[in-house]
Amino acid sequence: MRSHLGHLLSYATLVAVFFSVLVRRDRREQWRLFAWLWLAMVGGALGLAYLMFPFPR
Amino acid sequence: MPEHERPDPAGRLSIGRTGVAILAGWLLPGLGHALLHRIRRGVLFGAVVFACFGLGVAYDGRLALRDPGQPILSTLQLGANLGVGPADVLARWAAYGRPAYALSGVPGHPGSEELRKSFRNRARTGASNYGTAYLWTAGLMNLLLLLDVWDIARRGKA
Repeated sequence: MRSHLGHLLSYATLVAVFFSVLVRRDRREQWRLFAWLWLAMVGGALGLAYLMFPFPR
Repeated sequence: MPEHERPDPAGRLSIGRTGVAILAGWLLPGLGHALLHRIRRGVLFGAVVFACFGLGVAYDGRLALRDPGQPILSTLQLGANLGVGPADVLARWAAYGRPAYALSGVPGHPGSEELRKSFRNRARTGASNYGTAYLWTAGLMNLLLLLDVWDIARRGKA
């Protein structure tokens, strides 16, 4: 896999699963935390990339 | 039953049993939780840590070597790698031909030059940065799991 996006998605998924199960006990709370973490990592990275888009290298 | 073996009224384990669970968790990620009867969590944690570690090895992540030129940074990187347990030894065997952990401080040392070359060759591949992030994350996750095992065993955490 040479896709940056693919790595972002797999990394975010692994880290979100790990922390949601580590710090929450209730299943519903785990899913909620998983969604928050995943969206924060993926959305944050894509948002930052979008903000950087107008700037030249 | 000796006093130190008696179960604690609060459900806490003895220091000895806690140590065994922590050692087991380092040897095989997730096993510490399984020994504390958190089998499903242990299996899930083991799967996540090994998935992360496997991706790190597959993408030529840098297996840190202690470098006398950068002692603090390289030691921290090595610590992150070692967190995953004996799997790190196998990965080093595959990458360097032996379980190497340090470069020699002697300039031109033949063993060290060979290691440096292998290290740089791995770092040159396009996905190595991703691989390194996966490897460090796997090691640090397992270190957090060992702290969680301590918490469960000594504080009776649910």
